[in-house]
Amino acid sequence: MHLRSLRFKLTLWYVLILGILLTSFSGFLYFTLSKSLHRDVDNKLRSLAELIASESSSPLSKFSFGTIDQALETSMNLKPIGKFIQVLDESGNIGRKSDNLKNVQLPISLNALKNASKGLITFETNRTIGNTPLRIMTFPVVENSHVTKIVQIASSLEGVEDALNKLFLILIISVPSTLILASLGGQFLAHKALKPVDNITQTARMITSQNLNQRIHPPKVKDEISRLIETFNEMISRLDQSFRQMKQFSSDASHELKTPLTILKGEVEVMLRKERTSQEYEQTLRSNLEEINRMSQIVEDLLNLSKADTGEIRLNKEDVNLTEILNEVVVQMERLAKTKKLNLSATNHHQDIHIFGDALRLRELFINLIENGIKYTEEGGSIHIILQKEYPPPVTGEPDWVEREKGQFVKIIVSDTGIGIAKEDQERIFNRFFRVDKARSREQGGSGLGLSICKWIVEAHQGEIGVESELAKGSSFIVRLPLSPPELNH
Amino acid sequence: MRILVIEDEKKVANFIKKGLEEEHYAVDNAYDGETGLYMAEVNDYDLIVLDLMIPKIDGLEVLKRIRGNRNNVPILVLTARDTVGDIVRGLDAGCDDYLTKPFEFLEFLARIRALLRRERIDKEPILKIADLTLSLVTHKVMRGGKEIELTGKEYSLLEYFMRNPGKVLTRTMISEHVWDYHFDSMTNVVDVYVNYVRRKIDKGFEPKLIHTIRGVGYILSADKSA
Repeated sequence: MHLRSLRFKLTLWYVLILGILLTSFSGFLYFTLSKSLHRDVDNKLRSLAELIASESSSPLSKFSFGTIDQALETSMNLKPIGKFIQVLDESGNIGRKSDNLKNVQLPISLNALKNASKGLITFETNRTIGNTPLRIMTFPVVENSHVTKIVQIASSLEGVEDALNKLFLILIISVPSTLILASLGGQFLAHKALKPVDNITQTARMITSQNLNQRIHPPKVKDEISRLIETFNEMISRLDQSFRQMKQFSSDASHELKTPLTILKGEVEVMLRKERTSQEYEQTLRSNLEEINRMSQIVEDLLNLSKADTGEIRLNKEDVNLTEILNEVVVQMERLAKTKKLNLSATNHHQDIHIFGDALRLRELFINLIENGIKYTEEGGSIHIILQKEYPPPVTGEPDWVEREKGQFVKIIVSDTGIGIAKEDQERIFNRFFRVDKARSREQGGSGLGLSICKWIVEAHQGEIGVESELAKGSSFIVRLPLSPPELNH
Repeated sequence: MRILVIEDEKKVANFIKKGLEEEHYAVDNAYDGETGLYMAEVNDYDLIVLDLMIPKIDGLEVLKRIRGNRNNVPILVLTARDTVGDIVRGLDAGCDDYLTKPFEFLEFLARIRALLRRERIDKEPILKIADLTLSLVTHKVMRGGKEIELTGKEYSLLEYFMRNPGKVLTRTMISEHVWDYHFDSMTNVVDVYVNYVRRKIDKGFEPKLIHTIRGVGYILSADKSA
């Protein structure tokens, strides 16, 4: 497993966190147990001491002979097993002691003696006697505010230490082995969780521009990974689509350029096959010029569009009078409309409408749209342009004027009574070089880029363009452009 | 040789017609698939030049329908699409050859000659009968070592005769293969041209090659008894 792999990192973090948790838990367990065991011992010592003290100060204490064991047994029926007891007088001389002490004395520290003289209890742990530590309690017996005796009781801590040692051993073995097991389990889990990621990697590695139709198989379970795969697949789809569009575009572009090239080449080659009259040469040259102009137009439009794509064309935005521009364009296009016996008219619902935009581009937009209408409308038809302001529906709760000032649009509708556009083509007519009927369109002239340019101009003005059309009835191109803010409206 | 050019782009159709006519072919133009298909069915063409991207009926569909009618006329496809897929589709639909736009006009002519030659067995670019020869490439006509000057129509007429030696050719057949569809068959233009050609190739030579079959038409044959 690679040290930098996610699997390794996941496992490492998992083990690290588990290790910290287990260690702190073990520590807590050990110390609380140790504390409680020790307190237990102390409590037992204290209660026994109190008992003995009461016994020592009682008339029973007059038994100055015999052991404490006997005394306790006879007076209280008590057998303190494992406890060492000795009783000292106020000056520290040892009086009675329990049998199990034999000839050994419980040590008494200076500190304990000092405390005892003040009537204070002292607990001490002594490790000097034997192998096991002793817990020694020094308990002064106070009578009439005088320390009369000192009772010392000791208990071996062997049991406590043993228990704690065992616990320590158990913990020191079980914690690391748990961690090892956990790391194996963690690796397995990480492996299982990340396996689909490996699959994604492999599929993604195989996908090139040539086989963008491939998809990653989504797992049956809906989880994060399946969401990732879905996202991946969506991304591939989008790539696929744009690649396809690019391919379509370059094939369309080359086709669009090939036709004038074929004409140029063919006409010139046929001309050169023998001597011609100057009239024939002139005719051919004129025809060639037409094709050259057409090619220039295509190339120029393409260049403009690609510049627009890369953001190289900056709009020269200023306050423009849309109504004025439209009226000028209509007058200009009337001549073209007349040659096809079309009726071109415009309706302005408002006095001058001003927007913030590029006058040159907006003029181009209107010319393209009207030209398009003229091209696809049979003789005797009509083209009508409507220019109007559009208010968004008022939002309840807000004063009317707020919304009205914010979301005002100007709507331009260019409708014709032409051949119309089929439903399935309506979406694509703004694509570059897309032509509903390739043959018919070329005859009408144009580069096949007009509507693409319209779309670009509208979008550069933060507007939108759409089409509504019915075959054989006509088409309406609808452009929405945002109105300039009111302060610019004068 | 009469050729149908189905091509929607008028300028392309025009220069093809002009170039072919200068090579003495009779050329008809159709500007869409529907007209093209109709003309191909009604007339007897020696070759069809077909553009694939044409209005009304798509070029591939025209191709399939022509072949569907058991019409084996050689078809040369012109296309601006030059991917292998397009070419394969065209060939599979029954075209005999293809040329991608833009094309060399010389190559175009050579391919047309090659397609027309497939109909003959010898496949030589020179047609020959007795001591009369006609070069399909240079359009030179020789008899007995002497070059004979022919006009375009006369050449086309002789080529048609020489492609069909020993066969009786009716006036209708001649007009259909040598003239385009503007030809008015009610006139005696065919007889006039046959006489022009006969005067040029048979006068002063033996044996006589063009013979009149009374009430039917003409035959080109070196055999007197025919």
